[in-house]
Amino acid sequence: MTRQILHIDLDAFFVSVEQVLNPDLQGKPVVVGGHPDSRGVVTCASYEARKFGLHAGMPIATAHRLCPQAIFIPGSFSIYRDYSAKFMDILAQFSPDLEPGGLDEAFLDLTGFEPLYGPIRETAHRIKSRIREELEITASIGIATCKVVAKVASDFSKPDGLTEVTPGTEKEFLAPLPVKDLPGVGPKMQQALKKIGVSTIGQLADLPVSFVKENFGVFGEVMHRHANGIDNREVKPYGEVKSISRETTLAQDTLDFRMLKATLRYLTEKVGADLRNQGKQAKCVTLKLRYSDFDTITRSQTQKQPTDLDQAIFNVGSELLDKCLSQRRQSVRLIGIGVSNLVGPEKQLDMLDNSSLRLAYLDRAIDQIRKKYGFGAIERGQTLPLRDKYH
Amino acid sequence: MQVSCTQENLSRGLGIVGRAVATRTTLPITNHVLISTDNSRLRLSATNLEIAINCWIGTQVEEEGAIAIPSGLLTDFVNSLPSENIDIKVAPQTQTMEIKCAKSEARISGQKADEFPPIPRIGEGITAKVDPRALRNAISQMVFAAAVDDSRPVLTGGYAQFSGDKLILAAADGFRLAVHNLGLVAPAGEEAGVIIPARSLRELDRLLRDQADPVEITINPQRSQILFRLKDVEIVSQLIQGNFPDYNQLIPQSHTTRAVINVAEFLRAIKSASVFARDGSGILKLMITPGEGIQISARAEEVGDNEGTIDAEIEGQEAKIAFNSKYLMDIFTILEDEKVALEVTTPSSPGVFRPIGDDDWVQVVMPMFVQW
Repeated sequence: MTRQILHIDLDAFFVSVEQVLNPDLQGKPVVVGGHPDSRGVVTCASYEARKFGLHAGMPIATAHRLCPQAIFIPGSFSIYRDYSAKFMDILAQFSPDLEPGGLDEAFLDLTGFEPLYGPIRETAHRIKSRIREELEITASIGIATCKVVAKVASDFSKPDGLTEVTPGTEKEFLAPLPVKDLPGVGPKMQQALKKIGVSTIGQLADLPVSFVKENFGVFGEVMHRHANGIDNREVKPYGEVKSISRETTLAQDTLDFRMLKATLRYLTEKVGADLRNQGKQAKCVTLKLRYSDFDTITRSQTQKQPTDLDQAIFNVGSELLDKCLSQRRQSVRLIGIGVSNLVGPEKQLDMLDNSSLRLAYLDRAIDQIRKKYGFGAIERGQTLPLRDKYH
Repeated sequence: MQVSCTQENLSRGLGIVGRAVATRTTLPITNHVLISTDNSRLRLSATNLEIAINCWIGTQVEEEGAIAIPSGLLTDFVNSLPSENIDIKVAPQTQTMEIKCAKSEARISGQKADEFPPIPRIGEGITAKVDPRALRNAISQMVFAAAVDDSRPVLTGGYAQFSGDKLILAAADGFRLAVHNLGLVAPAGEEAGVIIPARSLRELDRLLRDQADPVEITINPQRSQILFRLKDVEIVSQLIQGNFPDYNQLIPQSHTTRAVINVAEFLRAIKSASVFARDGSGILKLMITPGEGIQISARAEEVGDNEGTIDAEIEGQEAKIAFNSKYLMDIFTILEDEKVALEVTTPSSPGVFRPIGDDDWVQVVMPMFVQW
């Protein structure tokens, strides 16, 4: 079945929200990202500001130099989050196959909905107008048979655009566009492609796949497929989590094992709760340490059996910590723990030893208590040294 | 020492004891084979300190003697010789073995025989006799269930329980349990339960291949070693000390669903599904529906999936259970029964495979926790 995928992108989202909240800002060059004399970068620039060459990621100081008359706003992210939630709510009413890509954009799979909603283009118009009516901001939508083309299409006629790439014309649509329009192609890749005389997506698509693979590896192969308008990725709700980690800079540099282990345990419980919430298990545990001289190391260990148990993750982290500190005895400034190589929740049940099953029940029970009464409602003796810090 | 024998006999004998030669060892003498005259025969012996194998071959003994020779070198050389008579001579002063066969001649430096670790001799103890075919069959149906990793040493062996004219062999690795009952040709004099290393059972299985006469079993009085006496071959194994789990407790006594399945048909279905399970976590999902059959499915993330249904006579409730495909394959590739019964209760309680009509064996497999 030919898929029908929408990519919906809010136009200059943060600035648009600011303009809704303060209509005086409308039609003016506005930059969200901090004060002109701050060290930050531009998070979002209005279309008026973009005319001066301003773009997201540019240092604020540079932006100020290029466009002194711009209005700089530090940004109020909790409000943007509220707007984003409303935006996602609207989209979710059209299809359950919704994949948010940050606060201001999302993929929506509408395959098979035409008998219900009518032509796809009309549905897209309806989504646009609901966003305009309910949020008072505009969105650009791309319609295509796959994610990558839908995304390029939504970018194609911004702001307030609607671009439909009809099935079979994906390659044709992409061909004349510059390679930088292809998601994942950054300045470095752009440079590398330029060196071999490739500046448009079409030129990239026409390279032999073996050549691309040899020069740019596995990513090159993916990029080449995308350039040809081929992308089999599914629209997956909330994307696929690849790793979960937590780290903290200690109040003061320390070599106090009790304190380090307590902190590690606390971070592990946060990571473990996230992992279980995602319905995943991890095979690999990584410890991160930054010593007082800012030298930063990470050490990983991969297990044969994946786990989502706090105790199992902590045991590995703790062992790695002992090993690191026995190799180098120096005060620690920052400590972190992460899990990766994530797999599903499936596990082989044990016939003789049900200790891991009991630990799993314990973790679940603690998770539920914490969800209801807060993280500090229940804790292990091991984290008691942190009492002053976290309570 | 001076003897002569045929190339075939020596080659076969070295092949048999070679299985007990230590490969990676801190005790270099254990990668030697001990060659000694024993009345009018030649005895070959090897040990890795866990298993020891003696093998006797017909020989013409001119002069008694003994020597330890590097096993690999001797075996490879003898295997390269034509099938003719071999003359062996050892010069005691230099501990060098001289081997002559047809127009070929070799000298191999050895070690003094008394430096070779003593091969355990078990004279008395608890004895029993068993039919070699029945024993092989039993070993093949349980040894795969022994644990591979040695975090719990008792599980790396097979439990052998001698009681009257019955022998029960059991193995469990924490995820599954295999039990096989067989009769003894000559009953055990005393009740005994010992744990035999899985590796020893596998070696025994190999040695039993050409055996027709009953195998004599002797457990030493300390219950630290077990001897299997075959025709011209003896294998002695250390026993694993410790308590084997009470496996009877692990076999569910009741069930809510029972499905009688055709072994060949089920094997074919799990084989197909395993191809897909391989890329995932090896999960096979079984949906058992009375009146319909068993649907077996597997899924490889982002690659594909497979679904097959087999007929089965099903009694009881509808049930679902997921297994590691490897565990099912291990069982179904060795079964000789035409039909077997699968008994299940909940998705998280063990599945049980039993023969129809008798209770010669039972296979218990813990399921996998999956999202249905």
